[in-house]
Amino acid sequence: MTKQQPGKDNFTRNLVVAVVVGVLLIMLVPTLLSKQTNTSAKTPASVSADRGYGIVFNDELKGVPVIDIYEDFQCPVCAQFEGLQGDYIESLIADKKATVVYHTLSFLGPESVNAANAAACSADEGKFLQYHRALYSNQPAENTGVWSTDVLVVLGQAAGITSKKFASCVNDMAYEGWVSNAAAAGAKANVNSTPTVFVNGKEIDRNGEYFNADKFKAAVERG
Amino acid sequence: MKKYQPWIGLVARLVLGGTLIVAGYLKFDELDKSQMAVRAYELLPIPLANFMGVFLPFFELAVGILLVLGAATRLSALASGLLMFAFMIGISQAWARGLSIDCGCFGGGGQVAPGEADYLTPLLRDTGLTLLAVYLTLFPHTKFGLDKEPKSLTQPGEGNND
Repeated sequence: MTKQQPGKDNFTRNLVVAVVVGVLLIMLVPTLLSKQTNTSAKTPASVSADRGYGIVFNDELKGVPVIDIYEDFQCPVCAQFEGLQGDYIESLIADKKATVVYHTLSFLGPESVNAANAAACSADEGKFLQYHRALYSNQPAENTGVWSTDVLVVLGQAAGITSKKFASCVNDMAYEGWVSNAAAAGAKANVNSTPTVFVNGKEIDRNGEYFNADKFKAAVERG
Repeated sequence: MKKYQPWIGLVARLVLGGTLIVAGYLKFDELDKSQMAVRAYELLPIPLANFMGVFLPFFELAVGILLVLGAATRLSALASGLLMFAFMIGISQAWARGLSIDCGCFGGGGQVAPGEADYLTPLLRDTGLTLLAVYLTLFPHTKFGLDKEPKSLTQPGEGNND
């Protein structure tokens, strides 16, 4: 390859190499740029860029544990986690005993993006927790086409959301830019699986504390 | 042996290139997961790992396509050999440190439940692919490639050897 011989030209080969490398480079650059945080993206209610673009409850409280939950609405283990710890976490929010930040990641595919966008729309309606619950209790198998935007609008009814604004927000993917920002923030926070739970910025023990109600409670109270 | 060398090279090119194309293509749609897979090796600083998670699928596709076409064979083979070697280092250190991760070789990746991690299969596969890459780097003149072979050494039905 390094020895060019007279009479044999490598024009076709060089052209092919240039095209293959060129096309992939042209695709790579915008992809890398899309992974950057887009500060002009519209953010839903109760989202804090300082808290990794998560949806925050009890942001104003001081001296309480901060629980960061990274999840993907399509992830079956997240549904298990929600089933086991969901009530407790919601009671912490209601009783103002903790600041809770929901980070809706979307690495499982396009329907995770749809669901995360719809959840952001539900935050605007002040019904994020209800919608969060509705999503997990109606979770289909991953990317089977069930969670189209139309279905996600209908699921809003299970959370008591019927407004036209919600429907258009879900259908228009109004918060797609925010979904991507939340994903980038999760990547920066080194979250490598879902669910991932941080209490006061430190991950709790994956093998013991996630799926044991008492131990989870102890981990939160330990802070 | 010399007579069959270009044919062995062709098979090596198709196997190595084909594997790289499949590996790159499967990660292409789920770059978030690909970034997660690289981070889970806990080898690179987070920003670099995130960059590699996006970059690697493109790189694998490019090198894979060039190998299958037989264009710039020696350079592509060298690049893929170094890549496989880097993968083997990553997998070995994860294994040695007792991390529980999926190799993420063909999409997927990230942490898995303790005891579910399989490091031997990807290591053996990458060893085989590294050998193919070494072979192609040493003998890059193969059948049906776009690379032109030095004329003086080529006879009909017979490959070139350096």
